[in-house]
Amino acid sequence: MPREQDWYRLDNAGVLYSALKKEKYAPVYRFSAVMMEPVDPEALQQAVDRTMPRFPSFRVRIRKGAFWCYFEPNPKPGPFVRPDISNPCQPIRDRADNDWLIRFYYYESRISFEAFHAVSDGSGALAFFRAVLAEYLRERGIDIPPDPLLPDVAQPPGPEELEDAYGRYAGKRALRKRLQKTAYANTSAPEPFYTLNVTMGLMSVAALKAKAKEYGATITEYLTAVLLLSLLEKQRAERPFREKPIALAIPVNLRAWFPSGTLRNFMLTLRPCVDPTLGEYTLEDLIRYVHHFMGLSLNRAEMRAVVTGNVKFTRNKLLKIIPLFLKKPIMAFSYWLVAVRPFTATFTNPGAVRLPDSMQPHIRRMEVILGQATRPSPHCAAISCGDVMEVTFAGTGTSSETERRFFTHLVREGIPVKVISNRSQQEVR
Amino acid sequence: MSYCVNCGVELDGTAEMCPLCRTPVYNPARPVDRDGSTPFPTERGEVALDSRWEVAVLISAMLGSAALCCGLLNLFFLLTSQPWSLYVIGAAAMLWVFIVPPLLWRKLPLPAATLLDGAAVGLYVLLIAWELDGLDWYLHLALPATILLAAILLAQVLLFQKRRLSILSTMAVVIASVAVFVAGLELLGDLYFHGGWEPSWSLVVLIVAGALEIPLMVVRRVPKLRKEARRRFHI
Repeated sequence: MPREQDWYRLDNAGVLYSALKKEKYAPVYRFSAVMMEPVDPEALQQAVDRTMPRFPSFRVRIRKGAFWCYFEPNPKPGPFVRPDISNPCQPIRDRADNDWLIRFYYYESRISFEAFHAVSDGSGALAFFRAVLAEYLRERGIDIPPDPLLPDVAQPPGPEELEDAYGRYAGKRALRKRLQKTAYANTSAPEPFYTLNVTMGLMSVAALKAKAKEYGATITEYLTAVLLLSLLEKQRAERPFREKPIALAIPVNLRAWFPSGTLRNFMLTLRPCVDPTLGEYTLEDLIRYVHHFMGLSLNRAEMRAVVTGNVKFTRNKLLKIIPLFLKKPIMAFSYWLVAVRPFTATFTNPGAVRLPDSMQPHIRRMEVILGQATRPSPHCAAISCGDVMEVTFAGTGTSSETERRFFTHLVREGIPVKVISNRSQQEVR
Repeated sequence: MSYCVNCGVELDGTAEMCPLCRTPVYNPARPVDRDGSTPFPTERGEVALDSRWEVAVLISAMLGSAALCCGLLNLFFLLTSQPWSLYVIGAAAMLWVFIVPPLLWRKLPLPAATLLDGAAVGLYVLLIAWELDGLDWYLHLALPATILLAAILLAQVLLFQKRRLSILSTMAVVIASVAVFVAGLELLGDLYFHGGWEPSWSLVVLIVAGALEIPLMVVRRVPKLRKEARRRFHI
């Protein structure tokens, strides 16, 4: 077995996310699998313990160096599975949880996995979570034969799983984008710390696909357009003095364009943006816009140039020599300038979760939650498994107007939606 | 199954209201299942806060070693008629009071921290006055000025803690505080140096502050103007 690395540099996205981490905030996301049977915590702990050694990129803790944060293998026991809580995606705090940057929870038949975004993106986290679920099912006595989708936990990890794919694909030409316009912030009064309002909408993939097909769009394009329309209408209803653009941050998994087996971060953000001052938009207009925008933006050369620009920023010699305690506020300000201010919300759709046929009958649905944003506005995430599409709105603001407009749009379009939320419990019980 | 009469979405059997529009669920054919398990847990949890002992010890060690080194240098190597190291030792002690108690005692009330900081500044200035044989100016000028500053800061802290003020009100309070401090400072200086109040430069500050306060208060008082300011500045 090859000797384990003593430490890892953070990748480009990890550098930014680690700069944002503080006592009351850290970018954390959650994937959940709702099983057919109630969860057996002991079997889940066994599964986690068996899977962790196979995934060194998740078995890390974050440390502060003189100039940068870095990862090192975490020798402490854990991570331990624990009963779920009503306020998910809590910040990752120094020295808490034995320094683990990932967490496992269980509630009824739901298994949840939370990760600090500096560790991995959604694609890497799903590969890891799928392996944990497979081991869990095996612990429960279900036969899960080897499958190309499931790495063998007895084998050592491949070197490509730990690679910094941003660095690998960064070229020479960098695309320097101008500062984008400030977008509509969609904030509401903040909830007391630490409350995360989560509202999930469950719908049929077949119904959604049929509706998207009517417009000649994919499910992602259709949902993006509905979200844009909901936000446009919400801003207009607030009657501001001057309407601001509505812009979404849509993370794109770069592995589809730049082959890489990395389980660390490797994604880029697209920014579809509509200007409400130009007039009224119909859903058809927005779907057409999103469809063509995606088509134009998803080209290899441009994406590579953007990656190069981002990598050059973090490799900037001047930035390199600034001590970490000074660099953190600079990076946090840069993040606010280029990744918060110009966006109204994030909409991520990891797509259909691919599961081996042997696992599919034991998993009712998958869920995804994007944790708190840097301001009290909701983020949106969607995921599907089998015929169940799950769309989550999560945020620390009190208003539920965005999700109300979004889901009622779908209902009006003829798509039945079932809504579940942790708001129901927080406010009534 | 129940549906929200307002939004048209299907609701969970345990939901007592629609999470989207807060319309209560009333379905005589299918009452709310109050005993069933909810889709999300009801128990809240919080990640343990990071212990700040290590940082407090590190800062204490840094300040302590700086004070000790200067004291030793002053005693054995850089001997002067004036014990210059006292300034460094006093400054280190003052910084320690500023930084370490709030680090260790998370629940230290802000008014108490403000008083503590004011006392630390007062004691540091006393040390300087004692060293320079200047207890007279300390008692009649420096101490009242420090008390005035601490009182103004304390009043601000209490006001901001008690009420969530709008941006306009916050600006008005800050400008008024600066004006009061400047006027008080000149009053104390005049009393000490001339024995009577002869306002001069503080009047300029007071007039400028007044010129800024009046439009702020007018906008604050008139709802139409306040609304217009909110729209114009998007606040």
